[in-house]
Amino acid sequence: MTEAVRLDGITKRFPGVVANDDVTLSVERGTVHALLGENGAGKTTLMNVLYGLYEPTEGDVYVDGDGLTYDDEGAVADAPRRFDSPRDAIDAGVGMIHQHFMLVDPMTVAENITLGNEPRKWGGLAVDRAAAREAVLDLSERYGFDVEPDATIEDIGVGVQQRVEILKALYRGAEILILDEPTAVLTPQEVEDLFEVLEELTDAGKTVIFITHKLGEALEAADEVTVLRDGKNVGSVETAGTTREELAELMVGREVMLETETPPATPGAPTLTVDGVSANDERGVTAVDDVSFTVREGEVFGIAGVDGNGQSELVEVVTGLRKPTAGAVALEGTDVTDASRRARTRAGMAYIPEDRQERGLVMDFDLSENGVLGSQHDAPFAQGGRLDWTYADDHAADIIEEYDVRPPDATAEAKSLSGGNQQKFIVGREFARDPACIVASHPTRGVDIGSTEFIHDRLIDLRDEGRAVLLVSSKLDEVRGLSDRLAVMYRGRVVDVVDPDEVTEEQLGLLMAGEEPEDVPRADPVADAADATDGVAGTPPADDADAEVADD
Amino acid sequence: MSADLGDRVDALGTRGTVAAAAVLAAVLAVAGLAVTGSGDTVVAVVALLFSKSTLAAALRLSVPIAFAALGGIFAEKSGVINIGLEGLLIISAFAGVYATSITGSVWLGVVGGVVASTLLALLFAVVCIEFRADQIIAGLAIWLIALGLAPFASQVVFGSKNASAGATFPDIQQLLADTGLPVVSTALVGALDALAGVPFLGALFEASPMVYLMFVAVGASWWTLNRTSFGRWVRASGENPKALDTAGVDVTRVRYAAVLLSGVLAGVGGAALSLSLGQFVGNGPTMVNGKGFIAIVTYLLGNYNPVGALLSTMLFAGLDALQLGLQGQDVLAIPQSLVRTIPYVSVIVVLALFGRTRIPEAAGEYYESGEE
Ligand SMILES: Nc1ncnc2c1ncn2[C@@H]1O[C@H](COP(=O)(O)OP(=O)(O)OP(=O)(O)O)[C@@H](O)[C@H]1O
Ligand SMILES: [Mg+2]
Repeated sequence: MTEAVRLDGITKRFPGVVANDDVTLSVERGTVHALLGENGAGKTTLMNVLYGLYEPTEGDVYVDGDGLTYDDEGAVADAPRRFDSPRDAIDAGVGMIHQHFMLVDPMTVAENITLGNEPRKWGGLAVDRAAAREAVLDLSERYGFDVEPDATIEDIGVGVQQRVEILKALYRGAEILILDEPTAVLTPQEVEDLFEVLEELTDAGKTVIFITHKLGEALEAADEVTVLRDGKNVGSVETAGTTREELAELMVGREVMLETETPPATPGAPTLTVDGVSANDERGVTAVDDVSFTVREGEVFGIAGVDGNGQSELVEVVTGLRKPTAGAVALEGTDVTDASRRARTRAGMAYIPEDRQERGLVMDFDLSENGVLGSQHDAPFAQGGRLDWTYADDHAADIIEEYDVRPPDATAEAKSLSGGNQQKFIVGREFARDPACIVASHPTRGVDIGSTEFIHDRLIDLRDEGRAVLLVSSKLDEVRGLSDRLAVMYRGRVVDVVDPDEVTEEQLGLLMAGEEPEDVPRADPVADAADATDGVAGTPPADDADAEVADD
Repeated sequence: MSADLGDRVDALGTRGTVAAAAVLAAVLAVAGLAVTGSGDTVVAVVALLFSKSTLAAALRLSVPIAFAALGGIFAEKSGVINIGLEGLLIISAFAGVYATSITGSVWLGVVGGVVASTLLALLFAVVCIEFRADQIIAGLAIWLIALGLAPFASQVVFGSKNASAGATFPDIQQLLADTGLPVVSTALVGALDALAGVPFLGALFEASPMVYLMFVAVGASWWTLNRTSFGRWVRASGENPKALDTAGVDVTRVRYAAVLLSGVLAGVGGAALSLSLGQFVGNGPTMVNGKGFIAIVTYLLGNYNPVGALLSTMLFAGLDALQLGLQGQDVLAIPQSLVRTIPYVSVIVVLALFGRTRIPEAAGEYYESGEE
C-alpha cells in the first residue's frame, strides 16, 4: 500500500488536557478515511495538527499526496514535516474544510475560492477576475460541482457553501482533503451528493479524511475507519469487515443501544399554540407563511424540512426573537405574541438554539457564567441585586455532572470546549429550568452517539413528565424517532402533519421537496392546527402505541 | 459580472443617500431661514450657497477630512478601528509646518507630516496588534498624545503654540506654470484660467493641488480595496480573519499594513490642512478641531466606500463653508454660535435618517493565529 499521510505518535497537550495521546494513523492514497469518536475525543485537534494550525507536542507528521516512499526495511524514507502554519500545509497539498466554515460572507464564491492566491494582471495592480471566474468554473466542472462563481456567500445554502470550501482547497492544489464533520449541517440529500463528490475526488487520486459521529455514514462513505477515544487511537478497521455495533462499542467503550424504544405519548391539554403565524426573514421576504399547530403537554411535536424552509424563523417567532407579521403564539392559554424572550423564559419556555456559539453561549464566559444565562434576573441566582456565584457554580457543576460535559470544569471558558460538549451544556441548562415547554432546535447537532442517546432519553423523560416539546431537526431519524406528530415544512408552509411511525422515508423526502406523495399517513387530526386554541383538553391520547425509533 | 453590478448598486445607494441628505439639509436650512428671516435673507443665503467662494471653501475644508476618512476605511476594513485619526491629523499638521519651516518646501513638509503620522500609527498598531490593547482606548490615547505633544513641540521649537511654515501650497495654475514646460504652462494654464471664470464650478479649476490629490486618492483607494489582492485581504481580515489565516495569508501583516496606510493617508490630510494656511494653530483643540472624528462619521455614512466617504465629506464641508459664509455676512437672525452648529447637527440628522452602515464583522476584535 501507498500511504498519503502517516501520523506517528502524535501527542498534543493543552494546559490541563491531553487532547491527543500518542496517536498513530496511516491513510492510504486515493481512499476515504473516516475518523470516528465521541465529543472531545480529539478528532478536530488531530486534524488541526495535520493542517498546521497546532504544533504537536510530540510526534511526527509525514505527508505526500502522491504517496510516501519507503526504504529497504519498509520504513518511511520521506522526512517528517513540520507545518508552522496552514500555509505550509497547503503548500504540502493538505486542505481542510472546518466544522465552522471559513468563508467571508459578503464576498463572492470566486473571491472566496481564490482568496490568498488571486490570479493577477497588470503587474499585480489588479486581480484578474475573469481568470478567477474561469478557474472556478473549470474546477467545478471537473468534479461535477454546481456553483455560481458570482453568487455572494451569504446568499447560498450551507450545502453549496461546503462545496465552495472544497473548491477552495482544490484550487490551492490540495491532494489530501480533511473534512471536519461535513455532514452535520447537511440534509440527507445533500449528504448523498457530498458522498458522490468524495468518490469523484478519490477517483481522481485525491485522499480524503473526514470526521463524523455517524456510524452509518462512516460505513457508507469510507474505506477505512479510525476510532479515537479519550485522545487515543483505539483501532483502525476496514469498513468491509466491520459492523455498526462493533464501531459503536469501540467509540464509546461499552455496548450502546442503537435503537431505542420510545413509549407512546399520553398528550394532555394544549401548551403551545401557534395560530396563523407569518414572518419575514432578514431581507423582508416571507419566510413563514400562515403556520398553525398545537403542541400539547406530554407530546413531542416535530418539524422536519430541508434547512432554510422557514424553520429557523418559525422557531424565532415562537421564542420571541422575531416579530411575526401576522398570527399569534400562546403559551398555556396566555397570549405571548408580544412577550419578550425573558418573559417567555419566565412563563416556562426553554429554548435550545440552533446556533450554539451565536445564541446558546457566550464563548468568552466560563461555564458557571454561561449556566446563569437566561436566569440572571431570577432567584435563586439573583439575590437582591447581586448574583449568588456560589449557587451558580453549584448549578454549573450539576449540569456538568448530569450531562457528562468534558472537561468537567466549571471555570473552563465555553470556547475551550469541543462543539459537542458545548451543546451538552446548553441542553443541560435549558432542561434544568423546569420548563412547561421546550423548543429544541437541532438539539443533537454535532453531539456524539452516546450523548445523543442521553439527550433523546431526557427529552422523552420530560415529555412523559407532561411537558410539551417542539422539536426542529434536519436529522430525519431524530424527528421521526422522537416525534409523536410530525409536521413537514416547505417554503414557509406546513405542507402536512404526518404520523412519524407510519410515514416512509420516501414519503417524507417527497414532502420535504414540495411534492405530494400518495397515501400519506396523517397524524391524529383532533389536535391538528389552529382550532385547538379553544381547548382540546379532553382530546383522547394519540393512538400510536407501537412507536419505534427508526434505524439511524 | 453581477459582482460588478453589485458594486455599482452599492455605490448608487450611497450616492442616493448622500444626495437625498444634502437636499434635505438644504431644505431644512432654507425653511429655517424662511421662518426666521425676511425674503432678502433667503435670497442672500441661496446666493451664498451657489457662490464660487463657498465651493472653494468646501473643497479646501474637505481635504483633511477626506484623507483621514480614507485612512479610517483601510484600518477599520482590516478589523482595526482607528479612532485615533484626530491625533494623526494633529501630529502631521504640526510636523508638516515644522518640516516646511526647515526645508522651505511645502512638499517636503507633506513628507514630514506623513512620516510623523505613520510613526504614530505604527505605535497604535503595535499596541493593538502586538499587545492586544483595546482599540478604542488605544485610539483615544493616540489622540491625547498628539493633542499634548504637538503644541508642546511647537512651544519648544517656535516658542509659541502657533507656528508659521513660511510657505503655502501654490494653486494648481501656479504649479503648472512653474513646470516651465511650454505647452503645459501656456495652453493648459490658459484653459484652466478661462474655466476658472465660470461662476460656481469655476472653483474646481483654481484649487490647491491637494484638492486634486484628494480626488486621485479616493479613486486609488476604491481601486485598491475592490480590485487588488491586498484590498481583498484587507476586507477578509475585517470580516473573517480566520478565513484569511487558513487561506494562508498572515492576518497580522495585513492589519499592520492597513493601519500604517491609514497613518500615511491621515498624514497627507494633516499636512494639507496646516500648509494650506501656512501655519499650525495649537491652541485648545488645535486647528484640527474634531476633523478626525468627523472623518469617522463620514466614512460610516459612506458605508466604507471611498467614493461615499468623499461625498459625505463634501456634504459636511459644504455646510461648514456655508456656515462660515453666513457668519461673515451676518444675515441671519439667529446667534452665531448656533449657526456654527449647522454642519454638525445636519450630520447627526443625516446619520440618524440614512445611516445604513454594515460594520465589518470582526472590527475591533483581536485576532491571533491558531487560537480556536
Ligand atoms: N484550544 C484549546 N484549548 C484548550 N483545550 C482544548 C482546545 N482545543 C481543544 N481542547 C480540548 O481538547 C479535547 C479534544 O477536543 P477536540 O475539539 O479535538 O474534540 P473533537 O473530537 O473534535 O470533539 P467534537 O466531536 O465535539 O467536535 C477537548 O477536551 C477539548 O476541550
Ligand atoms: Mg470537533
